[in-house]
Amino acid sequence: MAPDKHKAKIAARSGYLTNFMGEQSMAVRILGRAMAAAFAALALSALAADPIHIGLVNETTGPNAEAGQYTVNGARLALEEINAAGGVLGRQLELRIEDNQSTNPGTVLAYSKLLGEGGISAIIGPIRSTQVQAASPTIAKSSIPSVIGGTDPSLTKVNNPWIFRARPNDGYSSRVIADFAVNSLKLKKVAIVHSTDAFGSGGMAALTSALKAVGVTPVFVQGYTNNSQDFTPVVLALKKSGADVLATYMTNSPDVGIFAKQLRQLGVTIPWVGSPSLVTDTAMKLAGSALHSTFAIADFTPGANPEAKAYAEKYKAKYKLDPDVYSAWAYGALHLLAAAMEQAKSAEPAAVRTGLLNTCGFKSVEGKYCFDKNGDALHGYNVVKNENGRVVFIKTITFESNK
Amino acid sequence: MSALFDNLQVLFQGLALGSIYALVALGFVLIIRATNVVNFAQGDFAMLGAYAIVTFLVGLQLPYVVSIILALLVMAVFGMLFNLGVYYPLRNRSFLPVIISTLGASIFLQNTVLAVFGPQPKPLDKILNIDGIQVGGVFLDSQYLVILVVTLFAVAFQYFFFEHTLLGKKLQATSQDKDMARLLGIPVATMIAITFIYSAALGGLAGILVAPILFVSIGLGSIIALKAFAATIIGGFGDVTGAIVGGLLLGVIESFAAYYISVPYKDAYAFLALFLFLLLRPQGIFGERVSEKA
Repeated sequence: MAPDKHKAKIAARSGYLTNFMGEQSMAVRILGRAMAAAFAALALSALAADPIHIGLVNETTGPNAEAGQYTVNGARLALEEINAAGGVLGRQLELRIEDNQSTNPGTVLAYSKLLGEGGISAIIGPIRSTQVQAASPTIAKSSIPSVIGGTDPSLTKVNNPWIFRARPNDGYSSRVIADFAVNSLKLKKVAIVHSTDAFGSGGMAALTSALKAVGVTPVFVQGYTNNSQDFTPVVLALKKSGADVLATYMTNSPDVGIFAKQLRQLGVTIPWVGSPSLVTDTAMKLAGSALHSTFAIADFTPGANPEAKAYAEKYKAKYKLDPDVYSAWAYGALHLLAAAMEQAKSAEPAAVRTGLLNTCGFKSVEGKYCFDKNGDALHGYNVVKNENGRVVFIKTITFESNK
Repeated sequence: MSALFDNLQVLFQGLALGSIYALVALGFVLIIRATNVVNFAQGDFAMLGAYAIVTFLVGLQLPYVVSIILALLVMAVFGMLFNLGVYYPLRNRSFLPVIISTLGASIFLQNTVLAVFGPQPKPLDKILNIDGIQVGGVFLDSQYLVILVVTLFAVAFQYFFFEHTLLGKKLQATSQDKDMARLLGIPVATMIAITFIYSAALGGLAGILVAPILFVSIGLGSIIALKAFAATIIGGFGDVTGAIVGGLLLGVIESFAAYYISVPYKDAYAFLALFLFLLLRPQGIFGERVSEKA
């Protein structure tokens, strides 16, 4: 067959087709287009079938395995919600969980494993500051954004462009404690009791300077070593100081329990505002009524905002467990990543990073996430109160971010 | 007046914690005398005792007295197993393998308890139904009062047992000279087994008594054992009276030093006292025979 003849034949056929189509009714045409679109979507999803992979470096085994289980619970709940709503950029999300054995070397190893396997868009990192610190060089080299939960302020200040934090850092906790004691409770004779470990001493120093900023000098500052069996000397000195409000940075729940009981036994009843350890399940169980009516700060609390409320209900329904910060922060982090990808219109790590940096005003369980130049998304804390063993939300205190 | 009350309060706390050190130190000393070896798992006996009482009292909801008796029985059985598994196979070796063996046992016990009971510390009710009594400006915690009374009875019982019963005298003979004891027809291996049983029960008792105050956790034993060990050295290595006096002294020293000097270095005072004793009176308060040990 000669080429010209062939061309003519095709032209004739398509002309015939065009004519035929043109004569069709409107309804049929719309149906045809819808079908075409459906086929196209099917083809597209078949082409882009590979889901977006998000790594999760988690404490699956080791002494913090219980917290690790909660983290997975929270992340899974977010994953189901995102995927049920059609995924991100039309792709499904998939979690790749690596165990860090609750240790620093384990964390580095878990990162290496995830990075070695490749194909990961972003990683949800550890909630422990020390583990983040250990993995920080690996994260810097990975060129993949890591959303972490460790609250040591220095973690986001080491010029590591790939670290993002989805919890408020400890720099805010001291400002919130100072603000609440001085401006809400209107009490100015502040006593500080703190653990002498890195967390406690850092908290004490930050709190002292936060108090100074509002014109208050603490009347009493006392450190103690973790696992103290007896707080009698601390309590007796605290009584003598004439303080009218107590602020604490205590690390271990047994210490909180022993201290709280001895405070009450020796007749100290002044208001007490503490770091989050005061409202951990364990501390409240150990101390019982000795912790009633105390205040604490918490980044996640079910009553703080509509998102947290909704999350708490869903979490309870699904796992038959009370939601806590370990599950909540991971839930928020995954939703945050999904939002950043949607915003960047890409799941490429570099684009996700830009997406995160541009995120401001995103609302989830821990409040309004707005990234500053360091990579910190949250800039305040909730104040909660222990009312007869129940944690009740009092207020949220937020500061301006230095964007 | 308030200064006096404060001092009395500090003294009370110091004596109470000191009696716990003394109970654990007693267990240390008995094993040292019987086997010439420091049992590094002695603190874990206290930890196990605390977990045993939690299991009976909270887990199985048994009455307190029944729970204590059962927990002590469990500890006695455990002491026998400990002797069979950790000491007996190495009895004819030098002291080093035995010490390593007790260290290994300590790590094993802590991790087993971690695997079974989980990492969360557990609260425990006090033995008496009241929190404590207020005497003038001093608050006497009911559990601390119980600790003081029980320690007193335990020490009295021990004195009676060792000085006035045949079994006690056989145990003493074994600890003084094994070969001679054997020649006199005393079953040395059985005596050592009894020592382990008694010592485990004593350690368990310390754990049971202190659990309502320090809570039940994996680390419970290690906190106490270190101080108790210092107490045995201060009192006189291997001396029964010394262990009691050393324990009480250590408790009081650290309480007052924390009150008058500084709180964060509380643990340091205990070891400063230990250091001074080693420097100035290495045989301890009551020890005389330190040269023949080691």
